[in-house]
Amino acid sequence: MTETQKRVLISKIVMVLSTLSALIGLAFLFWILYVLVTNGIDAINWDIFLYEGAPPGYAESGLKQALIGQLILVGVASLIGVPLGVLGGTYLSEYGQRSRLAETIRDISDIMMSAPSIVIGAFVYAVVVTPMGHFSGWAGVIALTIIMVPIILRTTDDMLHLVPGTLREAAFALGAPKYKVIIQVVYRGAKAGVLTGILLGVARVGGETAPLLFTSFNDNFMSTDLMEPMASLTVTMFNYATSPYEDWQQLGWAAAFILSMFILALNIIGRLIIMKKGK
Amino acid sequence: MATIINIPEAKAIQVNNLEFTYNGAPEPSLIDITMPIAKNSVTALIGPSGCGKTTLLRAFNRMHDLYPGHTYNKGEILFEGRNIIDPKEDLINLRIKIGMIFQKPTAFPMSIFDNVAYGLRLQGTKNKTELNDRVEKALKDAAIWKETADRLKDDANGLSGGQQQRLCIARAIAVEPDVLLFDEPTSALDPISTQGIERLVTELKEKMTIIIVTHNMQQAARVSDYTGFMYLGELIELGKTEEMFVTPKERLTNEYITGKFG
Repeated sequence: MTETQKRVLISKIVMVLSTLSALIGLAFLFWILYVLVTNGIDAINWDIFLYEGAPPGYAESGLKQALIGQLILVGVASLIGVPLGVLGGTYLSEYGQRSRLAETIRDISDIMMSAPSIVIGAFVYAVVVTPMGHFSGWAGVIALTIIMVPIILRTTDDMLHLVPGTLREAAFALGAPKYKVIIQVVYRGAKAGVLTGILLGVARVGGETAPLLFTSFNDNFMSTDLMEPMASLTVTMFNYATSPYEDWQQLGWAAAFILSMFILALNIIGRLIIMKKGK
Repeated sequence: MATIINIPEAKAIQVNNLEFTYNGAPEPSLIDITMPIAKNSVTALIGPSGCGKTTLLRAFNRMHDLYPGHTYNKGEILFEGRNIIDPKEDLINLRIKIGMIFQKPTAFPMSIFDNVAYGLRLQGTKNKTELNDRVEKALKDAAIWKETADRLKDDANGLSGGQQQRLCIARAIAVEPDVLLFDEPTSALDPISTQGIERLVTELKEKMTIIIVTHNMQQAARVSDYTGFMYLGELIELGKTEEMFVTPKERLTNEYITGKFG
Protein backbone atom coordinates (compact mmCIF):
# COMPACT_ATOMS: atom_id res chain seq x y z
CA MET A 1 0.00 0.00 0.00
CA THR A 2 1.37 3.43 -0.91
CA GLU A 3 1.52 6.37 1.48
CA THR A 4 -1.37 8.07 -0.30
CA GLN A 5 -3.58 4.98 -0.18
CA LYS A 6 -2.80 4.69 3.52
CA ARG A 7 -3.86 8.27 4.17
CA VAL A 8 -7.05 7.87 2.17
CA LEU A 9 -7.88 4.72 4.15
CA ILE A 10 -7.24 6.41 7.49
CA SER A 11 -9.33 9.37 6.39
CA LYS A 12 -12.21 7.03 5.52
CA ILE A 13 -11.98 5.17 8.82
CA VAL A 14 -12.07 8.42 10.79
CA MET A 15 -15.00 9.67 8.75
CA VAL A 16 -17.00 6.49 9.36
CA LEU A 17 -16.21 6.53 13.08
CA SER A 18 -17.15 10.18 13.55
CA THR A 19 -20.35 9.82 11.55
CA LEU A 20 -21.29 6.78 13.64
CA SER A 21 -20.65 8.68 16.86
CA ALA A 22 -22.83 11.54 15.70
CA LEU A 23 -25.60 9.12 14.73
CA ILE A 24 -25.47 7.36 18.10
CA GLY A 25 -25.77 10.70 19.89
CA LEU A 26 -28.70 11.71 17.71
CA ALA A 27 -30.34 8.32 18.13
CA PHE A 28 -30.48 8.79 21.89
CA LEU A 29 -31.94 12.27 21.49
CA PHE A 30 -34.70 11.02 19.22
CA TRP A 31 -35.31 8.01 21.44
CA ILE A 32 -35.80 10.30 24.43
CA LEU A 33 -38.09 12.57 22.44
CA TYR A 34 -40.03 9.57 21.11
CA VAL A 35 -40.63 8.09 24.57
CA LEU A 36 -41.53 11.53 25.95
CA VAL A 37 -43.96 12.33 23.18
CA THR A 38 -45.70 8.96 23.04
CA ASN A 39 -46.15 8.83 26.82
CA GLY A 40 -46.66 12.57 27.25
CA ILE A 41 -49.34 13.04 24.58
CA ASP A 42 -51.48 10.32 26.18
CA ALA A 43 -51.14 11.93 29.57
CA ILE A 44 -51.99 15.46 28.43
CA ASN A 45 -55.56 16.65 28.84
CA TRP A 46 -57.34 19.80 29.97
CA ASP A 47 -57.64 18.57 33.55
CA ILE A 48 -53.91 18.96 33.97
CA PHE A 49 -54.22 22.72 33.56
CA LEU A 50 -57.39 23.02 35.63
CA TYR A 51 -56.74 20.97 38.77
CA GLU A 52 -54.18 20.97 41.51
CA GLY A 53 -52.41 17.92 42.82
CA ALA A 54 -54.58 15.29 44.48
CA PRO A 55 -54.02 11.98 46.24
CA PRO A 56 -53.70 8.97 43.98
CA GLY A 57 -56.97 7.67 42.61
CA TYR A 58 -58.72 11.07 42.37
CA ALA A 59 -60.00 11.83 38.89
CA GLU A 60 -59.72 15.60 39.36
CA SER A 61 -56.00 15.72 39.60
CA GLY A 62 -53.66 18.03 37.69
CA LEU A 63 -50.47 20.02 37.52
CA LYS A 64 -51.86 23.53 37.86
CA GLN A 65 -49.85 24.26 41.01
CA ALA A 66 -46.65 22.99 39.40
CA LEU A 67 -47.14 24.96 36.17
CA ILE A 68 -47.89 28.20 37.99
CA GLY A 69 -45.11 27.56 40.51
CA GLN A 70 -42.63 26.85 37.72
CA LEU A 71 -43.57 30.05 35.92
CA ILE A 72 -43.22 32.09 39.10
CA LEU A 73 -39.89 30.54 40.12
CA VAL A 74 -38.29 30.82 36.67
CA GLY A 75 -39.94 34.20 35.99
CA VAL A 76 -38.76 35.85 39.21
CA ALA A 77 -35.30 34.28 38.89
CA SER A 78 -35.12 35.71 35.35
CA LEU A 79 -36.27 39.14 36.51
CA ILE A 80 -33.34 39.21 38.92
CA GLY A 81 -30.81 37.15 36.98
CA VAL A 82 -31.12 38.64 33.49
CA PRO A 83 -30.32 42.27 34.42
CA LEU A 84 -27.56 41.10 36.78
CA GLY A 85 -26.03 38.88 34.11
CA VAL A 86 -26.29 41.42 31.29
CA LEU A 87 -24.93 44.28 33.39
CA GLY A 88 -22.14 42.07 34.74
CA GLY A 89 -21.23 40.96 31.22
CA THR A 90 -21.26 44.59 30.13
CA TYR A 91 -18.82 45.42 32.92
CA LEU A 92 -16.49 42.61 31.86
CA SER A 93 -16.48 43.47 28.16
CA GLU A 94 -16.66 47.26 28.23
CA TYR A 95 -15.13 48.40 31.51
CA GLY A 96 -13.11 45.61 33.15
CA GLN A 97 -11.74 44.33 29.83
CA ARG A 98 -8.47 42.53 30.55
CA SER A 99 -8.02 43.83 34.09
CA ARG A 100 -7.22 41.40 36.88
CA LEU A 101 -10.63 41.90 38.49
CA ALA A 102 -12.42 41.15 35.23
CA GLU A 103 -10.32 38.07 34.55
CA THR A 104 -10.98 36.81 38.08
CA ILE A 105 -14.73 37.28 37.60
CA ARG A 106 -14.51 35.39 34.29
CA ASP A 107 -12.67 32.49 35.91
CA ILE A 108 -15.11 32.30 38.81
CA SER A 109 -18.08 32.43 36.44
CA ASP A 110 -16.65 29.59 34.41
CA ILE A 111 -16.22 27.53 37.56
CA MET A 112 -19.76 28.43 38.68
CA MET A 113 -21.16 27.33 35.34
CA SER A 114 -19.73 23.86 35.73
CA ALA A 115 -20.57 23.60 39.44
CA PRO A 116 -23.09 20.80 40.11
CA SER A 117 -26.42 22.50 40.63
CA ILE A 118 -27.17 20.38 43.69
CA VAL A 119 -24.21 22.02 45.41
CA ILE A 120 -25.79 25.41 44.80
CA GLY A 121 -29.03 24.01 46.24
CA ALA A 122 -27.15 22.88 49.34
CA PHE A 123 -25.58 26.32 49.68
CA VAL A 124 -28.97 28.06 49.50
CA TYR A 125 -30.36 25.50 51.96
CA ALA A 126 -27.64 26.47 54.42
CA VAL A 127 -27.83 30.26 54.05
CA VAL A 128 -31.55 30.80 53.29
CA VAL A 129 -33.69 27.79 54.22
CA THR A 130 -32.04 27.05 57.57
CA PRO A 131 -32.24 30.63 58.94
CA MET A 132 -35.85 30.96 57.71
CA GLY A 133 -36.73 27.67 59.30
CA HIS A 134 -38.67 26.36 56.31
CA PHE A 135 -38.56 25.85 52.55
CA SER A 136 -39.71 28.79 50.45
CA GLY A 137 -40.20 29.97 46.89
CA TRP A 138 -37.59 32.66 47.47
CA ALA A 139 -34.97 30.05 48.32
CA GLY A 140 -35.72 28.37 45.00
CA VAL A 141 -35.57 31.69 43.16
CA ILE A 142 -32.20 32.47 44.72
CA ALA A 143 -30.80 29.06 43.77
CA LEU A 144 -31.99 29.44 40.18
CA THR A 145 -30.63 32.99 39.97
CA ILE A 146 -27.21 31.85 41.17
CA ILE A 147 -27.17 29.23 38.40
CA MET A 148 -28.44 31.63 35.75
CA VAL A 149 -26.21 34.67 36.34
CA PRO A 150 -22.82 33.22 35.30
CA ILE A 151 -24.31 31.79 32.08
CA ILE A 152 -25.80 35.10 30.99
CA LEU A 153 -22.76 37.01 32.26
CA ARG A 154 -20.33 35.01 30.15
CA THR A 155 -22.43 34.91 26.98
CA THR A 156 -23.05 38.65 27.24
CA ASP A 157 -19.33 39.23 27.76
CA ASP A 158 -18.48 37.05 24.73
CA MET A 159 -21.15 38.55 22.49
CA LEU A 160 -20.26 42.17 23.29
CA HIS A 161 -16.65 41.24 22.68
CA LEU A 162 -17.54 40.18 19.13
CA VAL A 163 -18.65 43.72 18.25
CA PRO A 164 -15.67 45.16 16.35
CA GLY A 165 -13.60 47.67 18.28
CA THR A 166 -13.62 50.00 15.29
CA LEU A 167 -17.40 50.37 15.66
CA ARG A 168 -16.89 51.64 19.21
CA GLU A 169 -14.10 53.93 18.05
CA ALA A 170 -16.33 55.30 15.29
CA ALA A 171 -18.99 56.19 17.84
CA PHE A 172 -16.42 57.76 20.18
CA ALA A 173 -15.02 59.68 17.20
CA LEU A 174 -18.42 61.32 16.78
CA GLY A 175 -18.25 62.58 20.33
CA ALA A 176 -20.43 59.94 21.99
CA PRO A 177 -20.01 59.41 25.73
CA LYS A 178 -19.18 55.85 26.77
CA TYR A 179 -22.62 54.86 28.07
CA LYS A 180 -24.20 55.91 24.78
CA VAL A 181 -21.62 53.98 22.80
CA ILE A 182 -22.52 50.88 24.81
CA ILE A 183 -26.30 51.27 24.68
CA GLN A 184 -26.71 52.60 21.15
CA VAL A 185 -23.93 50.84 19.27
CA VAL A 186 -22.51 47.86 21.17
CA TYR A 187 -25.84 46.48 22.46
CA ARG A 188 -27.41 46.90 19.04
CA GLY A 189 -24.56 45.07 17.38
CA ALA A 190 -24.72 42.20 19.87
CA LYS A 191 -28.50 42.13 20.33
CA ALA A 192 -29.12 38.69 18.82
CA GLY A 193 -26.25 37.05 20.69
CA VAL A 194 -27.13 38.55 24.05
CA LEU A 195 -30.79 37.61 23.61
CA THR A 196 -29.82 34.06 22.74
CA GLY A 197 -27.65 33.86 25.84
CA ILE A 198 -30.57 35.03 27.96
CA LEU A 199 -32.89 32.43 26.45
CA LEU A 200 -30.37 29.64 26.94
CA GLY A 201 -29.81 30.77 30.55
CA VAL A 202 -33.55 30.75 31.22
CA ALA A 203 -33.91 27.37 29.52
CA ARG A 204 -31.08 25.97 31.61
CA VAL A 205 -32.64 26.90 34.96
CA GLY A 206 -36.07 25.88 33.67
CA GLY A 207 -34.90 22.29 33.70
CA GLU A 208 -33.24 22.32 37.12
CA THR A 209 -34.55 19.93 39.77
CA ALA A 210 -31.73 19.34 42.22
CA PRO A 211 -31.43 22.90 43.56
CA LEU A 212 -35.20 23.14 44.00
CA LEU A 213 -35.58 19.86 45.90
CA PHE A 214 -34.40 21.39 49.13
CA THR A 215 -35.09 25.08 48.56
CA SER A 216 -38.58 25.68 47.19
CA PHE A 217 -39.42 22.03 47.94
CA ASN A 218 -42.92 21.23 46.77
CA ASP A 219 -46.57 21.94 47.40
CA ASN A 220 -49.52 19.90 46.22
CA PHE A 221 -51.77 22.93 46.19
CA MET A 222 -51.75 26.25 44.43
CA SER A 223 -49.57 28.85 46.06
CA THR A 224 -48.27 32.12 44.75
CA ASP A 225 -46.63 33.13 48.02
CA LEU A 226 -42.86 33.09 47.56
CA MET A 227 -42.42 32.99 51.35
CA GLU A 228 -43.96 29.51 51.37
CA PRO A 229 -42.82 26.27 49.70
CA MET A 230 -43.76 26.25 46.05
CA ALA A 231 -44.37 23.51 43.51
CA SER A 232 -42.34 23.27 40.35
CA LEU A 233 -42.72 21.06 37.30
CA THR A 234 -39.36 19.44 37.84
CA VAL A 235 -39.79 18.47 41.50
CA THR A 236 -43.40 17.42 40.87
CA MET A 237 -42.21 15.29 38.02
CA PHE A 238 -39.60 13.68 40.23
CA ASN A 239 -42.16 12.89 42.92
CA TYR A 240 -44.87 11.63 40.59
CA ALA A 241 -42.61 9.65 38.30
CA THR A 242 -41.03 7.76 41.20
CA SER A 243 -44.37 7.07 42.88
CA PRO A 244 -45.99 3.62 42.66
CA TYR A 245 -49.37 4.97 41.48
CA GLU A 246 -50.15 4.82 37.83
CA ASP A 247 -52.21 8.03 37.63
CA TRP A 248 -49.40 9.92 39.32
CA GLN A 249 -46.91 8.41 36.90
CA GLN A 250 -49.12 9.64 34.04
CA LEU A 251 -49.00 13.14 35.51
CA GLY A 252 -45.23 12.78 35.72
CA TRP A 253 -45.10 12.02 32.00
CA ALA A 254 -47.28 15.03 31.30
CA ALA A 255 -44.98 17.26 33.36
CA ALA A 256 -41.94 15.89 31.53
CA PHE A 257 -43.59 16.51 28.18
CA ILE A 258 -44.65 20.08 28.98
CA LEU A 259 -41.23 20.93 30.41
CA SER A 260 -39.40 19.50 27.40
CA MET A 261 -41.59 21.40 24.97
CA PHE A 262 -41.04 24.61 26.94
CA ILE A 263 -37.28 24.21 26.87
CA LEU A 264 -37.28 23.01 23.27
CA ALA A 265 -39.28 26.11 22.34
CA LEU A 266 -36.80 28.41 24.12
CA ASN A 267 -33.91 26.74 22.32
CA ILE A 268 -35.61 26.91 18.94
CA ILE A 269 -36.40 30.60 19.46
CA GLY A 270 -32.74 31.10 20.34
CA ARG A 271 -31.62 29.38 17.13
CA LEU A 272 -34.10 31.34 15.06
CA ILE A 273 -32.73 34.59 16.42
CA ILE A 274 -29.20 33.53 15.46
CA MET A 275 -30.35 32.45 12.00
CA LYS A 276 -32.23 35.68 11.38
CA LYS A 277 -29.13 37.57 12.42
CA GLY A 278 -27.00 35.54 10.00
CA LYS A 279 -29.05 36.64 7.00
CA MET B 1 16.92 67.27 11.15
CA ALA B 2 13.61 67.31 9.47
CA THR B 3 12.75 69.66 6.66
CA ILE B 4 9.48 71.41 7.43
CA ILE B 5 8.38 74.08 4.98
CA ASN B 6 6.64 77.22 6.07
CA ILE B 7 3.02 77.24 5.07
CA PRO B 8 1.47 80.49 3.87
CA GLU B 9 -2.12 79.56 4.84
CA ALA B 10 -3.64 79.89 8.25
CA LYS B 11 -2.92 76.85 10.42
CA ALA B 12 -5.72 74.65 11.64
CA ILE B 13 -3.43 72.65 13.89
CA GLN B 14 0.14 73.08 15.05
CA VAL B 15 2.04 70.15 16.53
CA ASN B 16 5.09 71.01 18.61
CA ASN B 17 7.74 68.52 19.76
CA LEU B 18 5.17 65.77 20.29
CA GLU B 19 6.36 62.51 21.78
CA PHE B 20 4.02 59.57 22.34
CA THR B 21 4.54 56.09 23.75
CA TYR B 22 2.17 53.11 23.59
CA ASN B 23 1.38 51.23 26.77
CA GLY B 24 4.31 49.03 27.70
CA ALA B 25 6.38 49.90 24.62
CA PRO B 26 10.08 50.41 25.34
CA GLU B 27 10.47 53.16 22.73
CA PRO B 28 8.23 56.09 21.86
CA SER B 29 6.23 55.70 18.64
CA LEU B 30 6.25 59.41 17.88
CA ILE B 31 9.50 61.29 18.33
CA ASP B 32 9.71 65.05 18.50
CA ILE B 33 7.05 65.74 15.87
CA THR B 34 6.70 69.38 14.89
CA MET B 35 4.21 69.96 12.14
CA PRO B 36 1.81 72.65 10.94
CA ILE B 37 -1.49 71.64 9.36
CA ALA B 38 -2.78 74.16 6.83
CA LYS B 39 -6.40 75.19 7.13
CA ASN B 40 -8.86 74.20 4.37
CA SER B 41 -6.34 72.02 2.65
CA VAL B 42 -5.50 68.34 2.47
CA THR B 43 -2.42 67.14 4.30
CA ALA B 44 -1.34 63.59 3.54
CA LEU B 45 0.79 61.48 5.87
CA ILE B 46 2.86 58.85 4.11
CA GLY B 47 5.55 56.43 5.17
CA PRO B 48 6.23 52.70 5.55
CA SER B 49 4.22 50.48 7.92
CA GLY B 50 4.93 51.23 11.55
CA CYS B 51 6.30 54.70 10.86
CA GLY B 52 3.76 56.31 13.19
CA LYS B 53 1.46 58.01 10.70
CA THR B 54 -1.71 56.45 12.09
CA THR B 55 -0.45 56.99 15.62
CA LEU B 56 -0.06 60.69 14.89
CA LEU B 57 -3.49 60.85 13.26
CA ARG B 58 -5.13 59.23 16.28
CA ALA B 59 -3.51 61.76 18.57
CA PHE B 60 -5.44 64.60 16.90
CA ASN B 61 -8.79 63.36 18.24
CA ARG B 62 -7.28 61.66 21.28
CA MET B 63 -8.38 58.20 20.12
CA HIS B 64 -5.46 56.78 22.11
CA ASP B 65 -7.23 57.78 25.29
CA LEU B 66 -9.77 55.00 24.81
CA TYR B 67 -7.13 52.53 25.91
CA PRO B 68 -5.30 52.75 29.21
CA GLY B 69 -1.59 53.32 29.51
CA HIS B 70 -0.75 55.19 26.32
CA THR B 71 1.07 58.40 27.13
CA TYR B 72 1.81 61.73 25.51
CA ASN B 73 5.26 62.22 27.02
CA LYS B 74 5.91 65.74 25.90
CA GLY B 75 5.03 68.39 23.39
CA GLU B 76 1.70 69.89 22.43
CA ILE B 77 -0.97 69.90 19.76
CA LEU B 78 -2.44 73.36 19.35
CA PHE B 79 -5.98 73.62 18.05
CA GLU B 80 -8.15 76.71 18.40
CA GLY B 81 -5.40 78.24 20.48
CA ARG B 82 -5.25 75.57 23.16
CA ASN B 83 -3.23 72.44 23.75
CA ILE B 84 -5.62 69.57 23.10
CA ILE B 85 -3.46 66.88 24.66
CA ASP B 86 -3.99 68.61 27.97
CA PRO B 87 -5.58 66.02 30.30
CA LYS B 88 -8.33 68.54 31.05
CA GLU B 89 -9.40 68.74 27.40
CA ASP B 90 -13.13 67.95 26.90
CA LEU B 91 -12.81 64.95 24.59
CA ILE B 92 -16.48 64.87 23.61
CA ASN B 93 -16.30 68.43 22.32
CA LEU B 94 -12.94 67.84 20.70
CA ARG B 95 -14.21 64.81 18.80
CA ILE B 96 -17.25 66.72 17.58
CA LYS B 97 -14.86 69.27 16.04
CA ILE B 98 -12.31 66.75 14.80
CA GLY B 99 -14.06 63.88 13.04
CA MET B 100 -12.57 60.61 11.84
CA ILE B 101 -13.02 58.12 9.00
CA PHE B 102 -11.57 54.67 9.56
CA GLN B 103 -9.79 52.13 7.41
CA LYS B 104 -12.76 49.80 7.24
CA PRO B 105 -16.28 51.17 6.95
CA THR B 106 -17.89 51.40 10.37
CA ALA B 107 -21.61 51.56 9.65
CA PHE B 108 -23.54 51.21 12.88
CA PRO B 109 -26.11 48.39 13.11
CA MET B 110 -29.02 50.73 12.41
CA SER B 111 -30.76 52.33 9.44
CA ILE B 112 -28.98 54.54 6.92
CA PHE B 113 -30.85 57.56 8.23
CA ASP B 114 -30.07 56.79 11.88
CA ASN B 115 -26.41 56.36 11.02
CA VAL B 116 -26.13 59.84 9.57
CA ALA B 117 -28.36 61.32 12.26
CA TYR B 118 -26.30 59.70 15.01
CA GLY B 119 -23.89 62.58 15.61
CA LEU B 120 -26.63 65.16 15.20
CA ARG B 121 -28.82 63.45 17.79
CA LEU B 122 -25.83 63.20 20.13
CA GLN B 123 -25.60 66.92 19.96
CA GLY B 124 -29.25 67.24 20.84
CA THR B 125 -30.87 67.91 17.46
CA LYS B 126 -34.39 66.58 17.92
CA ASN B 127 -36.40 68.62 15.43
CA LYS B 128 -37.53 66.23 12.70
CA THR B 129 -37.39 68.63 9.77
CA GLU B 130 -33.95 69.85 10.80
CA LEU B 131 -32.72 66.27 11.12
CA ASN B 132 -34.18 65.37 7.73
CA ASP B 133 -32.60 68.39 6.08
CA ARG B 134 -29.18 67.89 7.58
CA VAL B 135 -29.12 64.15 6.88
CA GLU B 136 -30.10 64.82 3.26
CA LYS B 137 -27.44 67.51 2.92
CA ALA B 138 -24.74 65.29 4.42
CA LEU B 139 -25.67 62.40 2.14
CA LYS B 140 -25.59 64.75 -0.86
CA ASP B 141 -22.23 66.19 0.18
CA ALA B 142 -20.88 62.67 0.56
CA ALA B 143 -22.17 61.81 -2.94
CA ILE B 144 -24.35 58.96 -1.78
CA TRP B 145 -27.80 60.60 -1.79
CA LYS B 146 -28.85 59.11 -5.13
CA GLU B 147 -28.23 55.55 -3.98
CA THR B 148 -29.86 55.97 -0.59
CA ALA B 149 -32.69 58.47 -1.02
CA ASP B 150 -35.38 55.82 -1.38
CA ARG B 151 -34.00 53.40 1.23
CA LEU B 152 -33.12 55.61 4.20
CA LYS B 153 -34.98 53.22 6.52
CA ASP B 154 -32.97 50.19 5.38
CA ASP B 155 -30.20 48.63 7.43
CA ALA B 156 -26.90 50.37 6.64
CA ASN B 157 -25.11 47.04 6.53
CA GLY B 158 -26.94 46.23 3.30
CA LEU B 159 -24.83 48.82 1.46
CA SER B 160 -21.66 47.91 -0.41
CA GLY B 161 -18.26 48.63 1.11
CA GLY B 162 -17.73 51.79 -0.92
CA GLN B 163 -21.23 53.00 -0.14
CA GLN B 164 -20.72 52.29 3.55
CA GLN B 165 -17.52 54.30 3.55
CA ARG B 166 -19.31 57.25 1.94
CA LEU B 167 -22.09 56.80 4.49
CA CYS B 168 -19.47 57.07 7.24
CA ILE B 169 -18.19 60.25 5.62
CA ALA B 170 -21.76 61.58 5.49
CA ARG B 171 -22.13 60.72 9.17
CA ALA B 172 -18.90 62.52 10.02
CA ILE B 173 -19.61 65.67 7.99
CA ALA B 174 -23.23 65.91 9.15
CA VAL B 175 -21.99 67.45 12.39
CA GLU B 176 -19.86 69.93 10.41
CA PRO B 177 -16.45 69.30 11.97
CA ASP B 178 -13.57 71.71 11.46
CA VAL B 179 -11.10 68.93 10.84
CA LEU B 180 -11.65 65.50 9.32
CA LEU B 181 -9.12 62.72 9.82
CA PHE B 182 -8.95 59.90 7.27
CA ASP B 183 -7.13 56.73 8.29
CA GLU B 184 -6.39 54.89 5.03
CA PRO B 185 -10.02 55.30 3.97
CA THR B 186 -9.74 53.42 0.69
CA SER B 187 -7.51 50.50 1.61
CA ALA B 188 -10.54 48.18 1.79
CA LEU B 189 -12.23 49.51 -1.35
CA ASP B 190 -12.23 48.78 -5.07
CA PRO B 191 -10.71 51.28 -7.56
CA ILE B 192 -14.01 52.90 -8.54
CA SER B 193 -15.08 53.44 -4.93
CA THR B 194 -11.59 54.76 -4.22
CA GLN B 195 -11.93 57.29 -7.00
CA GLY B 196 -15.25 58.45 -5.52
CA ILE B 197 -13.75 58.90 -2.05
CA GLU B 198 -10.73 60.78 -3.43
CA ARG B 199 -12.95 63.18 -5.35
CA LEU B 200 -14.93 63.72 -2.19
CA VAL B 201 -11.81 64.48 -0.16
CA THR B 202 -10.75 67.23 -2.55
CA GLU B 203 -14.25 68.69 -2.54
CA LEU B 204 -14.55 68.67 1.23
CA LYS B 205 -11.48 70.81 1.83
CA GLU B 206 -13.47 73.90 0.95
CA LYS B 207 -15.38 73.43 4.16
CA MET B 208 -12.88 71.73 6.43
CA THR B 209 -9.29 70.82 7.04
CA ILE B 210 -8.37 67.30 6.03
CA ILE B 211 -5.57 65.04 7.21
CA ILE B 212 -5.29 61.73 5.41
CA VAL B 213 -3.06 58.78 6.20
CA THR B 214 -2.36 56.66 3.16
CA HIS B 215 -0.21 53.77 2.12
CA ASN B 216 -0.62 54.74 -1.44
CA MET B 217 1.78 57.44 -2.67
CA GLN B 218 -0.21 58.04 -5.85
CA GLN B 219 -3.22 58.73 -3.68
CA ALA B 220 -1.27 61.27 -1.64
CA ALA B 221 -0.10 62.91 -4.86
CA ARG B 222 -3.64 63.01 -6.25
CA VAL B 223 -5.54 64.41 -3.30
CA SER B 224 -3.22 66.39 -1.08
CA ASP B 225 -1.83 69.91 -0.98
CA TYR B 226 0.82 69.08 1.59
CA THR B 227 2.55 65.80 2.27
CA GLY B 228 4.36 64.71 5.38
CA PHE B 229 6.76 61.79 5.15
CA MET B 230 7.27 59.85 8.37
CA TYR B 231 9.87 57.24 9.19
CA LEU B 232 10.48 55.34 12.44
CA GLY B 233 8.33 57.71 14.46
CA GLU B 234 9.81 60.89 13.10
CA LEU B 235 8.49 63.39 10.63
CA ILE B 236 11.27 63.50 8.05
CA GLU B 237 9.86 66.04 5.68
CA LEU B 238 6.77 68.17 5.21
CA GLY B 239 6.35 69.96 1.93
CA LYS B 240 4.02 71.06 -0.80
CA THR B 241 2.85 67.84 -2.43
CA GLU B 242 3.82 68.78 -5.99
CA GLU B 243 7.32 69.71 -4.86
CA MET B 244 7.85 66.81 -2.55
CA PHE B 245 7.16 64.16 -5.13
CA VAL B 246 9.42 65.86 -7.69
CA THR B 247 12.22 67.40 -5.67
CA PRO B 248 12.28 66.02 -2.14
CA LYS B 249 14.74 67.74 0.15
CA GLU B 250 15.59 64.72 2.27
CA ARG B 251 17.46 61.65 1.08
CA LEU B 252 15.09 59.31 2.97
CA THR B 253 12.04 60.88 1.33
CA ASN B 254 13.64 60.46 -2.05
CA GLU B 255 14.41 56.82 -1.39
CA TYR B 256 10.89 56.14 -0.17
CA ILE B 257 9.04 57.80 -3.03
CA THR B 258 11.28 56.15 -5.59
CA GLY B 259 10.50 52.79 -4.04
CA LYS B 260 13.93 51.94 -2.61
CA PHE B 261 12.25 50.76 0.64
CA GLY B 262 8.85 50.66 2.29
